[in-house]
Amino acid sequence: MTDDALAAELRRRALALFGRSLHIRTVDTGSCAVCESEIRLLSAPPYDLHRLGFFFTPAPRHADLLLITGPAVRAMDTALLKTFEATPDPKAVVAVGACALGGVYEEDGFVHGAVDRVLPVDVYVPGCPPSPLALLHGLLVAVGRLEERVAALTFDLAAEVER
Amino acid sequence: MAFWFFRGLGKGIVTTRYPKAIDPWTSALPTPPAFHSDRLTIALVDRLIEVCPSRALAREHNELIFDVGACSACERCVQEGAGAVEHSGVFELASTRREHLLKRVHIGRGSA
Repeated sequence: MTDDALAAELRRRALALFGRSLHIRTVDTGSCAVCESEIRLLSAPPYDLHRLGFFFTPAPRHADLLLITGPAVRAMDTALLKTFEATPDPKAVVAVGACALGGVYEEDGFVHGAVDRVLPVDVYVPGCPPSPLALLHGLLVAVGRLEERVAALTFDLAAEVER
Repeated sequence: MAFWFFRGLGKGIVTTRYPKAIDPWTSALPTPPAFHSDRLTIALVDRLIEVCPSRALAREHNELIFDVGACSACERCVQEGAGAVEHSGVFELASTRREHLLKRVHIGRGSA
């Protein structure tokens, strides 16, 4: 088995393990806190992420998944990397919101501009902010329980009429 | 342990895996734009790029490159390009690859 195939197999097994339950640590790298407000709403009765086996944890050492918001300000570099290192393997990183995906801030002396310039990102969740339903969808994509849908979308209404 | 576990046992109801159906109110959520590529012109696309505050739009010759990940759904392009740009209504946009969020829309498709 090649290294790539081995890595893919390991990842598949890790996701099968996480598919049942997983703990989430959120990290704010300079967001405006609206993403956090939506993340908080995940615990509200209409979404109730606990029923899906997701739980928030205050410690990265207990976490399986990092939910990262904000444009990765450089002042957070040490904290972010320490959090990433403290999270035991296997782990997943989910970048949340337009800032974390590189939409709002350009790279400069203060911000990296996108989370994937600092950490390897497994799932990208767009939105400004992403609604709790979008976050739930992102989490379920991260653990392999739902298929991503955006790859098949064209955002071209004329092309959709033709089909 | 969370109450949902006992609630589920007591009622004999398995909780849903994900919203069974998407609630109707979600249509009011701000969502990224979708484009009528046949109604787009290069001049209009350049105007859209100018009003976009989050650098989600770019043009490469006669293709509009729409970065869904960078879009903050501010709707400025929907106002600027009324008739050619609409709400997509899609919010389940999570992706495992960043490049899946880059969409190429051919400007003036069908009219050429």
